[in-house]
Amino acid sequence: MTTTTLRRWFVVHKWTSLICTLFLLVVCVTGLPMLFSEQIWDAFVGDDDPPYEVLPPGTPNASLDVMVAKARVMFPGQIVTQVNPDDDEPAVLVSMAPSWQALKDDEKYPDRHSGHWIKFDARTAKVLKQSPPSDAPKKPRTWTGIILGTATRLHMNLFAGLPGALFMGVMGVLFVASLVSGTVLYGRYMKRLPFGTVRRDRAARLTWLDLHNLLGAATLAWALVVGFTGFVNELQTPLFGLWRITDVRQILKPYAGLPEVSQAHLSSVQAAFDTAAKAAPGNKVTGLSFPGAPFGSPVHYVLWTHGATPLRGRLFTPVLVDARTGALTGAYPMPWYLRFLEISRPLHFGDYGGLPLKVLWALLDLVVIAVLVSGVVLWAAKRRIATDMRLRALGFDPDDVETVPTLGEAMR
Amino acid sequence: MNAAPPMPPPSSSPSRTPVAVWPWPIALSLLTVFGLLSALLGQHGIWLALSWTSLSIPLVVMFACLVRARRRTPLSNGGQS
Repeated sequence: MTTTTLRRWFVVHKWTSLICTLFLLVVCVTGLPMLFSEQIWDAFVGDDDPPYEVLPPGTPNASLDVMVAKARVMFPGQIVTQVNPDDDEPAVLVSMAPSWQALKDDEKYPDRHSGHWIKFDARTAKVLKQSPPSDAPKKPRTWTGIILGTATRLHMNLFAGLPGALFMGVMGVLFVASLVSGTVLYGRYMKRLPFGTVRRDRAARLTWLDLHNLLGAATLAWALVVGFTGFVNELQTPLFGLWRITDVRQILKPYAGLPEVSQAHLSSVQAAFDTAAKAAPGNKVTGLSFPGAPFGSPVHYVLWTHGATPLRGRLFTPVLVDARTGALTGAYPMPWYLRFLEISRPLHFGDYGGLPLKVLWALLDLVVIAVLVSGVVLWAAKRRIATDMRLRALGFDPDDVETVPTLGEAMR
Repeated sequence: MNAAPPMPPPSSSPSRTPVAVWPWPIALSLLTVFGLLSALLGQHGIWLALSWTSLSIPLVVMFACLVRARRRTPLSNGGQS
C-alpha cells in the first residue's frame, strides 16, 4: 500500500470518526438503559394491575365476539376500533372511540384523547381494567419513565422526529465507513506487532493507540452489525411509507370508494381471527382494526399477524378479511425491503437470546465506548503535537513534548 | 475455527519481523457472527449457550491481553507467568 493510499484511508477514518463520534457516544450511552428497559420497569415501577385469575392450564380462551359485545354494552353509541390480544399475558385489549372522525380530530388537539380501551381476561372475558378517563388528573411521570423516554428519543432521533432519524441514519453510515477504514489502518499499524500488544513502556500515545486497536479489533464484527442494522432501523418511516403508497394502495384501491360498513352489520371478529390464522400459517394474529381505520379499507377487517420465532417474530403479514361476509380477501407478505428491516431489528436490539445476550450486548457496547474515547484521545494528542510543532516554529519551546511516533509522520 | 493461531508469544518490544496481522481479528469476527446468528436461528437450548459462549470469547481475549499488558510492568522486566 502506498503512502498516498494509506494517507487517504487515514483521512477517511479521521473525518468519518470525528463527525459521528459524539452521536455514537449518545447512542451507546442511551442504548444501555434501553437494553434493560424491561428489567428496569419491573424493578422500579412494576404494574399495579390485579393478578390474573388462576385457571387450570389449557383453559380455552373466550370468544372475542363476547368481549366486543360487552364493550359495546359498556359504551353504547361508540365504535370499536381495534382488538389486540396481548402477546405474553392472557389479556385482550379492546379499543373504542366515539367515531373515526373524533380520533382523526384528536391529532389537531394534543390534549384531547377520545380513544380509550378496555382490558379483558382472555379466558373469562371479564373486564380487568379500563384506560383512565381522558379528564382524569394525569398521573405524575415516574423518574424511570422520564429517563427511559429521554434515552429512547435521543437514541432514535435526538428529539427531532423524522429528520433526526435520517440524520442518525447518516451517522450510522459514517460509523460503518469509519469501521472499514479503521480496519485498513489496523492492518498497517499491526504489521510488526503481535495481536493484543499494549505497549506501556513507551509514549502514552502508543498505549492509547494499542488500546484503540485491540478493543476495536475485538468488537469490530459486533459494531459493524449493530451499526449497520441501526442505520436500517432509522429508515423505517420512509420504508413503511413507501410500502403504503405502493403495494398497500394497490391492494386497497378497489375498495377505496365504498361506503364504510356500519358497526351494526359486521361479521364475527373471532371468525376473522381464525380465518387470518389459517391464511398465514405459522403466524400469530396480534391485532385487528375495524373497517374505516386510517390506512385501512372501509369494508375490511385488517388483521396483523407475525411469525412465532425470534427471526420471523417481527415479520408482519397483514391479512384482509371482508367485514361484510367474513370471507378472506388475502394475506399480503411484506416486500423484501421491509422483511430486511424486520430481520435487522433483533440484531440491533440484542433481545433474542435471553438476559445473558443482553449482558454481552452491554459489555460490547461499553468496549465500543472505550474505542470511541480512545479515538478522541488519539486525535486530541496528535493535534497537540501539531500545535507544538507550530509553537516551536515560532520560537517557543513547549516543555513536555513526547516522542513523535514514527508512524504518525507518514500519516500526517 | 481452525484458523485460530496460538496465543502470540509474549514480547516486551515489538519485533522487527512482520507478523500475521489478520488471523486473530478474523477469528474473533467469525466467532461474533456465529454467536449473533446461532441465537437468532437456533432460538433455544444449545444454540443459545453456543451464542453466549462465542460472543464472550472476543471479550475474554481482549481482557486477557489487557491483563497481560498490565502484569508486565512498564519497565523492561518481562515477568510472565
